[in-house]
Amino acid sequence: MTTPTIHSSELFASLKVLVVDDSLEMRRLLTALLSVMGIGEIICASDGAAGLRLFSERAPDLIITDGAMQPMDGYEMTRAIRAMHNPGDPPGQGGDVPVLMLSGHMGADIVTRARDEGVTDYIVKPVTPALLYERLLEAVSKPVHVVETPTWRGPSPTRRLVAREAEAPLNIKPQ
Amino acid sequence: MSEPSSKSGIDARFVRLPSIAERKLGRDYTAPIRLDPRILDQMQQTISELGSKYAETLAAQIALLAPLIERACTGIAEARAQLYSIVHDVRGLAGTFGHPIVGSFAKSLCGYMESCSNLDPTIMRFHIEAMRDALEDPHPDAGLARETLRSLDLLIDATSVEKSRTERSTG
Repeated sequence: MTTPTIHSSELFASLKVLVVDDSLEMRRLLTALLSVMGIGEIICASDGAAGLRLFSERAPDLIITDGAMQPMDGYEMTRAIRAMHNPGDPPGQGGDVPVLMLSGHMGADIVTRARDEGVTDYIVKPVTPALLYERLLEAVSKPVHVVETPTWRGPSPTRRLVAREAEAPLNIKPQ
Repeated sequence: MSEPSSKSGIDARFVRLPSIAERKLGRDYTAPIRLDPRILDQMQQTISELGSKYAETLAAQIALLAPLIERACTGIAEARAQLYSIVHDVRGLAGTFGHPIVGSFAKSLCGYMESCSNLDPTIMRFHIEAMRDALEDPHPDAGLARETLRSLDLLIDATSVEKSRTERSTG
């Protein structure tokens, strides 16, 4: 059995998570799973522009976003959030908020783009409970390392970003 | 907490901040070593509960695809965008709700649509039929699905080569 999770329960209850996805089904799924995890507040947006607005208004602790959306996608939204930081802002502002991207794409060029725009963690759909739980816990438990320039603050754009994928048996790729 | 970067010549500094957990709960917070199996069970249970409703949605989504093929393949952007949007949705969700084979066919179709400007109706139809068959089969065969995916890949390659040849000969 695992260690007692009193700390993670308390932690999750204190979190405000913004979910940005154009799929109603995906928003429903993520909202349900985050609720089960005990996340204190869940707010949803159906595209990057609405996500950006909610980010400014509600100051979430963490963002879970889709990549491809219209009219503003998750990459553009992330870039805008990373550009919001003003030198001297207290910790936890735009540049410091973890952005977990959930995407159906796992090509190296797409993952590199996500990294360059300031995505913290890249999760390949389909998502599983264990993968979502693990990545969210990691995002809020680990110290935050960011690079700050006069116009941008966020995860280092030179780091290696790995596309996280659920383990088999969901994968049935051609061998 | 931070150090300036002198290597790149860009005015940049590296900053290390306490974790969100430490900021919320103080420095005594220790992350659990493993995921809580009770929460994982509840999450899986939630997916099962949502799954029956999702199966209806998925069937309805797949039923919408076939009537869009012809218009999407004749260059009507709206039909193509609508078809792609549905398949993209299926790719992202079907696997989570226990339909990984449907999700794999959707992934293959998305990849094809992303890489091809002139869609081939046969390739489109075969993908959509494979998705529908996998959904209707209560025990879809993963081995057969792999073979079908491989065949679809070969068909896409062959069609692409044929189109290039035709374009060269007419151009």
